Amino acid sequence: MTPRIRLIRFIMASFAFLLLILAGSGGLQPQSAHADSWIPVSGTGSTWSQNALDQWRKNVAANYGMTINYSGVGSSAGRRDFLQGTVDFAVSEIPFQSKPEDGSAAEVPATGFAYMPIVAGGTSFMYNLKIGGKKVTNLRLGGETVTKIFTGVITNWNDPQIAADNPGLAMPDRAIVPVVRSDGSGSTAQFTLWMSKQYPALWSSFCIAVKRAAGCGLTSQYPTFGGAKAQNGSLGVAGYVGQDYGEGAITYVEYSYALKSGFPVAKVLNAAGYYVEPTASSVAVALLKAQINTTAGSPDYLTQILDGVYNNADNRTYPLSSYSYMIVPTEVAGIFTAAKGATLGAFTNYMLCEGQQQAAALGYSPLPMNLVLAGFDQIKKIPGADVSGVDINSCNNPTFKAGDSPANNQLAVSAPAPADCDKQGPNQCTTGTAGAPADTAVTGTGTGGSASGAVTPAAVVTGSAVATGDAAVYDANGALVSGTSALSGSAVSTPFTVADSGIGPQQLLMLFAALLLIAAIVLPPFVSKRLRRPVDPHS
Amino acid sequence: MSILTQRPPGAGDPLPNPAIDLADFDDPDTPGDGRTTIPDPGTVATGPRRRLRQATLDERFNLVGALIAGVALATALFGWITPMTGSVGWVVVAFLSFLGFYVLLTALRAERQEVADKVMTALMVSAGILLFGALIFVVAYTLVRGREALVNLNFFTQTMELAGPLDPLELGGIVHAIVGTLIQISIALAITIPLGITTAVFLNEVGGRFARFVRTIADAMTALPSIVAGLFVYAAIIQLITHQRSGFAAAMAITVMMLPIVIRASDVVLRLVAGNLREAAYALGSSRWRTVWHVVLPTARSGLVTAVILGTARGIGETSPVLLTSGVTAVMNVNPFSGPMISLPLQVFDFVKSPEPNMVARGFGTAAVLLLLVLTLFAVARVIGGRGPGQLSTRQRRAATSASFDDLKRMSRRSAPAPLPPVTVPDAPVPITPPFTAPPQSRETSP
Amino acid sequence: MVTFTAGTTTVGIMLAVGLFLSIRASDALSVSGFAFLTEQQWSPETQTFGIAAILAGTVSIALIAMCVGVPLSLGTALLISDVAGGRLRGLLVTLVDLMAAVPSVVFGLWGLFFLQGNVIPVAQWISTYFGWIPLFRVADDAGTALTDASAFTSSAFIAGIVVGLMVVPTQTSVMREAFSQAPVGEREAALALGSSRWGMIRTVVIPFGRGGIIGGTMLGLGRALGETIAVYMIISPIFTINGELLKTGTNSVSALIALRYGEASEFGLSALMAAGLVLFIITLVVNFTASSIVARSRSGAETD
Repeated sequence: MTPRIRLIRFIMASFAFLLLILAGSGGLQPQSAHADSWIPVSGTGSTWSQNALDQWRKNVAANYGMTINYSGVGSSAGRRDFLQGTVDFAVSEIPFQSKPEDGSAAEVPATGFAYMPIVAGGTSFMYNLKIGGKKVTNLRLGGETVTKIFTGVITNWNDPQIAADNPGLAMPDRAIVPVVRSDGSGSTAQFTLWMSKQYPALWSSFCIAVKRAAGCGLTSQYPTFGGAKAQNGSLGVAGYVGQDYGEGAITYVEYSYALKSGFPVAKVLNAAGYYVEPTASSVAVALLKAQINTTAGSPDYLTQILDGVYNNADNRTYPLSSYSYMIVPTEVAGIFTAAKGATLGAFTNYMLCEGQQQAAALGYSPLPMNLVLAGFDQIKKIPGADVSGVDINSCNNPTFKAGDSPANNQLAVSAPAPADCDKQGPNQCTTGTAGAPADTAVTGTGTGGSASGAVTPAAVVTGSAVATGDAAVYDANGALVSGTSALSGSAVSTPFTVADSGIGPQQLLMLFAALLLIAAIVLPPFVSKRLRRPVDPHS
Repeated sequence: MSILTQRPPGAGDPLPNPAIDLADFDDPDTPGDGRTTIPDPGTVATGPRRRLRQATLDERFNLVGALIAGVALATALFGWITPMTGSVGWVVVAFLSFLGFYVLLTALRAERQEVADKVMTALMVSAGILLFGALIFVVAYTLVRGREALVNLNFFTQTMELAGPLDPLELGGIVHAIVGTLIQISIALAITIPLGITTAVFLNEVGGRFARFVRTIADAMTALPSIVAGLFVYAAIIQLITHQRSGFAAAMAITVMMLPIVIRASDVVLRLVAGNLREAAYALGSSRWRTVWHVVLPTARSGLVTAVILGTARGIGETSPVLLTSGVTAVMNVNPFSGPMISLPLQVFDFVKSPEPNMVARGFGTAAVLLLLVLTLFAVARVIGGRGPGQLSTRQRRAATSASFDDLKRMSRRSAPAPLPPVTVPDAPVPITPPFTAPPQSRETSP
Repeated sequence: MVTFTAGTTTVGIMLAVGLFLSIRASDALSVSGFAFLTEQQWSPETQTFGIAAILAGTVSIALIAMCVGVPLSLGTALLISDVAGGRLRGLLVTLVDLMAAVPSVVFGLWGLFFLQGNVIPVAQWISTYFGWIPLFRVADDAGTALTDASAFTSSAFIAGIVVGLMVVPTQTSVMREAFSQAPVGEREAALALGSSRWGMIRTVVIPFGRGGIIGGTMLGLGRALGETIAVYMIISPIFTINGELLKTGTNSVSALIALRYGEASEFGLSALMAAGLVLFIITLVVNFTASSIVARSRSGAETD
């Protein structure tokens, strides 16, 4: 027995020992009674939906003992995994591409599959802008303005088009820094789909400018352009905008990030002429008009048609609303079995009904009734799924109650209408948005207004923007969302001294003073040494 | 050294290997026969011992004075004279002016050589301070950001199975990721250590054209982007064989990434094993394998441990190879061949992506746990394997002494009837310890 | 023979990776041909993609990392092997090893949320006073100097500093190991001849450890070229060659793979493999050069 072998043995032994301890402590957790009746199911896909899936996974594990594994590796990777049969389900914002842009092989799954809507959300625009050192929290943008900002047409905050949207704000002369996602993402896909559908001319000329085919449609990878910065992940883009150096930046990110990092989001103009914040209910109202392609032969069978959503005439609509799909198998093949189907069926049923209760708290929006009904049809196609519990009347979804119909349901009746000051015109609400609830003073030519209607324009509180550090932020349900924000840079930034590039007399004077100071320190010892040397050369 | 002294010569070894002696002589720290003896000073009175290593008052003044002057100048420049801003800029200016003043002060009294010595020492120490400052900063940053998660005991005993993004930190933990990391790195080490060190031995001891080719390939592989290692395993193992992400696949990706690092670092230390040790072993007739096992590897032991540690450090903390191969799960999975098995770095990556502050805190807590885990593993490895050749622990030394003592008794018993033993039985060199005073004698008996 | 089998297995694994990369890359390479090396755009969707800009970014990040890492690790390695003694040395060795294990994602987060904000003033200062050197200039397309903080974010400079700090422990470990093997006889001889400590280091330790210095530097360079997650979190990828190191925007092959893997089609994946292959070949060349230098150095030669 040599020392080396002993070393290896010792390490192995300590590993085994640690494992034993850890396994022992892990085993102490309460196990659900049904734990053995469900088979673990795993899936990959969208990072955008991961937060919701994580919560649902936990809920079904705690309540039913189901094991759902989900890994947010990206929509395309999820679809690829599904194609190759390495996962049971995938989550994606984009359907399978029958004609990929780059001419690679069409994505045609060998086995049957179905698209099921799982969670909705609005593409919100988080920004960091100050007027006279005070944070702006009530920015309003028209759809065309947004498109122009993110295609490099509008490059300064004082652009007349932005000023027209914001009569209450004197827009500063500051370059706009659009921050886009550097990794492929579902948020990019949803945003570019909206731009390509609503502003095809602007989008098409942008496509040409970034050397892509004219009329290119949605893309999951935002092309880099002009003064734009690309950052990876929602954390990266939200983090960039939240820093001191992020002043003047705007990005598209999940509403929850803005909420939790203490930053405002832009209100976007809808077809009814109102600027609306992407809250859970405004997204859900928009999606009441979502349609599903039911042409069985079409390559896009069962995929979303969102034109009605973008142009929904309801004044509570947030136009940039969409939802993500779960791709579920409809036949037993490969690693997917009927037993897994039973688990998957129960999980999806939970997801569409009970799970939507937490969508708003998680920064998403609950699926409205029409989409839940569409999802139910897909559950019935999953082999092995127990469909007895799939019933719209016992579905505990927050947007409708038993007896509602898609045309007349709780959401459509009870969603709050936007304030009058949010209507297009010279009157601009001063109330803050998302994670920055503080009001913004009227600085422009327009008049102010408050969403609550209680504050008159003259009495607007112009105090400093909310400091994200300690201020508690409450979400729509009144639940405490964040005390101390993990993401935030301080909301109150110190003014940044911009170094002057030119070397003028002042700079020369400074340089001279610095040199003089150094000389005053350095010269005496040298001179004294010089002076001393002739006297005593041997010292 | 440690090998032979614990084993009676001749027991299972037809030819006891004496080569280890040389290592002993090489190493000045080893108490042994080669120790310098100080002649008796006789009647000459010795003065107080001069302290060579201590800095003089003058040197200390130079250092402290230069430091204060540097800081003061930087503050003056930043605060009043020029419009420079930023803490990092202040540190840079302060450091540069400190160096300048230090040179100046030293040059007043000393010669060029000494100035160079002082300045280079100051530079080395500042490199060290900067590096360890950065390390401590990163670690402290991790701990501070993760403290909310770390203070809850459940963080170390539960899995995330019953905890979602909206749940408080009092619920859920990362024990599944800790277990996953340990399993994956154990599998990877079980493959990498034998394969890597054997390959390094092949490169050094066998040589030849093929060995040079292997070295070139291994060198090139040290730069293999870790994500490509992940992609390779994804296509070669997951897509072709297992059809699912698993702990084993992740371990394979880590192995592919670690192997060249271990080979290269072991190669460097094996190359530094003095050639005369090898030659002596060969000259005494030992085979190549015995030379490697008893001479080369023990001599390079601490270097080999460093090599393995380097590889482990890289393998245990890298996210990208496991990103594509291990899969993400929130439940405990101790079977590396079935189902996803998450590891700590991937869990960090997964946590910090979440918009929920609690999840981000969990992410930093997980990173801190990873650091602590690595620290523990390294401390264990250093304690066991980090000692240089010939340096024994007290217990080993005692065992060696008693073994040698037994040997001596046996030999003297045997040599009593026959004054000149027919076989040369070189003794194992024995550290001198109080109860045992025989080595010089035994040395004379075997010419 | 066991060792021979081990060597063959190693080569087998390595060649399998290389072969696999080549096969998977061939789809993309057959479409782009030699333009792959000269094209700056990366757009496999439109079949125009090349590695020129990405490679330039990778190399610039790695070189900055080396500028930061090599002096630091050389100084620290000498500090550990020749200046520090006793318990302190053991502590420092453990700390270096520990630092090598700090997960890259932590470095990335630290770089993104702490370092970037603090380094921007330094970058601004450099570009203001050394802007006449083209590498340090930060200007827009028209040539006017930029002073806005947002022009300095997510640059090769910041990514290089973070990667430099990440590779230091690896380099330090290898160098320290080589330095500590410098023969005691020669060290003592140098000191006995009246050399100062630095004189001894310069004439004995460094020449002896040259192989270790080069080996460690190359090991670090390899890691810097291939570093994924930290670079991925910091840089703002662009697809034009950016010679202004302090200016926002750069790129890196491995970060590109990590960024694009999730949303790449089969063809896009093949293009990413081709990028990985080119990086692989470049590091092979660099490392081959390095090992021939090491082979010629005195390191490990017989001395007593």
